Amino acid sequence: MENIELLLQGFAVLFTFQNILATILGAVLGLIIGAMPGIGSLAGVALLLPLTYKFNPTTAIIMLGSLYYANMYGGAFSAILLNIPGDSPAVMTSLDGYPMATVKKRPGQALLTSNLSSFIGGLIGMIILTFTGPALANVGLKFGPAEMTALLLVAMTSIGWLVGENPTRGVLLTMFVIMLASMGMDTLSGSPRYDFGSIYLLGGIPFTPFVIGIVGFAQVIKLMEDRNIQTKAAAEKLTIRGSMITRHDFRRLLPPALRSGFLGTFVGVLPGAGATTAAFLGYATQKSFKSEEPLGTGAIEGIAACEAANNGAAAGAFAPLLALGIPGSGTGAVLLGGLMMWGLNPGPLLFVNEPDFAWGLIASLFLANLITLAIAWGVIPFLIKILSVPTKLLIPCITVVCIVGSYSTSNSMYGVLVMFLSGILGYVMQKSRYATPPVLLAFVLAPLLESNMRKAFIISRGSLNIFFAKPISLVLMIALFAILLFPVVRPALVKAGLIKIKEPKS
Amino acid sequence: MTNTERKTSGFGINQIIPIVAAVMSIAFIWLGLNKYGFWHSAKGPMPGFFPVVISVAMLFASILAFVFSFKEEAPVFPVANWLVPLSVACIIGATFLIGLIPSVAVYVLVWLKAYEKCTWKTTLITFAAIMAVVIGCFVLWLGVPFPKGLIYNALFS
Repeated sequence: MENIELLLQGFAVLFTFQNILATILGAVLGLIIGAMPGIGSLAGVALLLPLTYKFNPTTAIIMLGSLYYANMYGGAFSAILLNIPGDSPAVMTSLDGYPMATVKKRPGQALLTSNLSSFIGGLIGMIILTFTGPALANVGLKFGPAEMTALLLVAMTSIGWLVGENPTRGVLLTMFVIMLASMGMDTLSGSPRYDFGSIYLLGGIPFTPFVIGIVGFAQVIKLMEDRNIQTKAAAEKLTIRGSMITRHDFRRLLPPALRSGFLGTFVGVLPGAGATTAAFLGYATQKSFKSEEPLGTGAIEGIAACEAANNGAAAGAFAPLLALGIPGSGTGAVLLGGLMMWGLNPGPLLFVNEPDFAWGLIASLFLANLITLAIAWGVIPFLIKILSVPTKLLIPCITVVCIVGSYSTSNSMYGVLVMFLSGILGYVMQKSRYATPPVLLAFVLAPLLESNMRKAFIISRGSLNIFFAKPISLVLMIALFAILLFPVVRPALVKAGLIKIKEPKS
Repeated sequence: MTNTERKTSGFGINQIIPIVAAVMSIAFIWLGLNKYGFWHSAKGPMPGFFPVVISVAMLFASILAFVFSFKEEAPVFPVANWLVPLSVACIIGATFLIGLIPSVAVYVLVWLKAYEKCTWKTTLITFAAIMAVVIGCFVLWLGVPFPKGLIYNALFS
């Protein structure tokens, strides 16, 4: 009850003209920045941080918080409409969002599913943050290298179902990409590794240009085959009413959105995990549950699972940031820098010494969630017009966005070169029937896995016991072995009558 | 079988990819073991540990992919599709001379008018829309310092 009173006090702080305007401005800017490939929440918050110098700290953090939050919504727009994720947490959204918009000809419904799932996931995250923020942050601190390794190994098992019809080729491409991800500076020792004497490779292969290339630019090259096809389906539904989802659609999106909302919030609390990992885990978890259509073919459940997870994580990331002063992600680190710049010291005493600030921020997230949903819903008819643009006009447009977006991430032509080469790689691999979805998962999670695994081995002096000595890692390792062994023991369990096989709907 | 695919008749891209992957994995294993180190008795895993483990897995996968590749259909890469990467390569080259923004501007105009044979009205509307996003959002608002090229630097620096 005390937390509700404090939250209401936060709303009292929030409801000034200046703060509401800051929330709306942050939400609008977050949507735009999120939708623009290559910018992302980290660059968005960093670029706008100087704009807040003249604001009071509460108004400033309210604007940046809502910008960061709305960014998770915006990233899905270009992922769904153009197959170019606006930000890394939206990478998984494109797997089902783009087919739903183009193959199933339901772009409005795909966008609305994404928006509603984001809202639900974010709302869950904020409610959890309100009631258990400091306690949740302490749970996150119990995740050391061994626990993180076990968690990431569980997440990596989803590669198994992403590899597609040809597992050998899927595994080959996944290993190749993990190898690419290991190039550059060694994260633990700081020594150069597989840089081949290049100053650019020393910094590694940047994620955003790589994703823009392998997903977006490869798609543009393939679009050349369809450039004379007239697109007209999307233009038929240019109203908000036309983009409404049915009651049946809502029933499909609700369970994965609720599940991923909780999961995403928890992942957001973990140090270094972030919204991208949450989206991957949300999608991977959905595979274990029933979906009306197979994931990857435009399933509502697929969009809902990853969008709810990344918004839950965005909210959850505020728990360690405010309660412990530990940022859960790069964006969190910039926000932390902002807090310090304004003379505030994040930590357990922040809620005691600066209650207006801490609870005003949490209240602003609730308002930003609502405002962003309303704005995102309102702009759907205009966004759908993108799909009615003829393919032959879209090709140069998307090509320019790919070039400019990949340049913007590093302010260097190296980003454009990475996008260019990974685009050709993605195109050749797709044409040769190599599954590219696991590539994205591997590229994000592999460096985290390597770093945590090596730390765990260093702590244990090379002993595997560290993964089984603590309860959290033990439970996760049991879950990992269960996932890995289930396909092997499944026939025996079916034979023994312990599980039943459900016939898939035709 | 689609109209863009045909049965493989011999050595092709299906075999080249696993061979390239195998060569790369051998190179990474060799570098990992000899240059970066695999395991230290006191320090545990060295910088080469993770890449070597992954490269070994990749080597096995590439051998399997090579063996199975002869049963797979070979993809066909339409020549027209390569115009997109070719145009981006030209933009990258032109950027060093005239800068990134003028390069993409010329690309959009040439692509729409000369290649797609669009009308001047369609060309100019599309051009204006793209440049509004690029200049409005990336240059003016976000202040991304796009390269200006050798000619600009020679004239104005």
